[in-house]
Amino acid sequence: MKRPDHNTYREWLNLDVDGQLPRPQRAELEQHLAGCAECRAEREDLLALENLLQKNRVPVRTDFKGAVLASLPTTGWENRHPKTWAFPAAVFLLLAGIAAALFGSAHLEAAGPGASALVAMADMLGSTLQAGAGLLAATWKGLGLAFAEVISSPMSLGVLAVLVISLNLLFISLLRRRRSATAGAVRGGRR
Amino acid sequence: MTRGAEQPTDEDLVAAVLGGDRERFGDLVDRYQGRLVNYLFRLLRNVDDAHDLAQEVLVKVYQVLDRYDPQYKFSTWLFRVAQNAAIDQIRRRRLKLVSLRQDDDEGEGRDWDLPSPERGPYGEMRNRERADAIQEAIDALPWEYRELILLRHQAELPYEEIAQLKQMPLGTVKNKLFRGRQMLKEKLQDFLAD
Repeated sequence: MKRPDHNTYREWLNLDVDGQLPRPQRAELEQHLAGCAECRAEREDLLALENLLQKNRVPVRTDFKGAVLASLPTTGWENRHPKTWAFPAAVFLLLAGIAAALFGSAHLEAAGPGASALVAMADMLGSTLQAGAGLLAATWKGLGLAFAEVISSPMSLGVLAVLVISLNLLFISLLRRRRSATAGAVRGGRR
Repeated sequence: MTRGAEQPTDEDLVAAVLGGDRERFGDLVDRYQGRLVNYLFRLLRNVDDAHDLAQEVLVKVYQVLDRYDPQYKFSTWLFRVAQNAAIDQIRRRRLKLVSLRQDDDEGEGRDWDLPSPERGPYGEMRNRERADAIQEAIDALPWEYRELILLRHQAELPYEEIAQLKQMPLGTVKNKLFRGRQMLKEKLQDFLAD
């Protein structure tokens, strides 16, 4: 086997100082060092350089950790998470407003022309909601009938199962891709 | 996934913080503060700026901790954020390239306080000379070598992480570190025997 040249040994010395030289090469380097004064001197210099840089490190201030922990945002990243209660609360408020408008209309009619206009608007909204609800019910009924038709045959049930599983897998893969893209952007910083 | 029985990995600590144990972030600070401050100090050449920016970096990392991808090393991520922040600051502030010695001459005193292994007037003078020489030698390195030398010697990142951080082949990292060290050795030859 061909022996490495002198420059290769010098490169190995650098790796060795960093603990990055594989064991077999390390043994070979030790053999070379035994007979090469120049490389021994090089190793001494490299170790001295490492020592010099280590000795001249600046000390970290004693209050540094405390300052970091004190300056962390009180709620951290949770602040940026979507609030899980926001949507239900909004729906509740909307329903409450509609209920107040519908069931409070009888009291408002007696209050004057302005209140009557409000009651008329509320009635219109109520009619719209009733129509929407009727349409929704009809749609669900139609969907229910179609679903009952599908599950009545084992073949069509199997097709439906495959379709649902495929859609789920597609959704999961899209989510993963999006997550890794976000992580990559964070890792990459704004270079 | 702990290393041995007693020492949690960085990834364990991050998971604990994300799970609501905020105090564990203090463990990460303990683990990295020395390397982070020294790495930034060598880039910014000012102890106060290094501490301030190190604090900013840690807060920034905490704020986006939920976006940390555990398939990568936490240290790689941390020092990438630190390097970007340092480069931004150097550009933004147009850091004065005034040597520390000039600060002394202006009567403002040194902006760092290194431990002094050598006591007495001669020892102090030698310490100052050595500290200045190290900073000057690092500053004199071309950027492509300097950044790798600092990531290795101040941030103490292993070669693989440096390669990942700089998106360079491992062989290039080894080669540049080798050359960078040769340049540093030449410039600091007078102090290697100390």
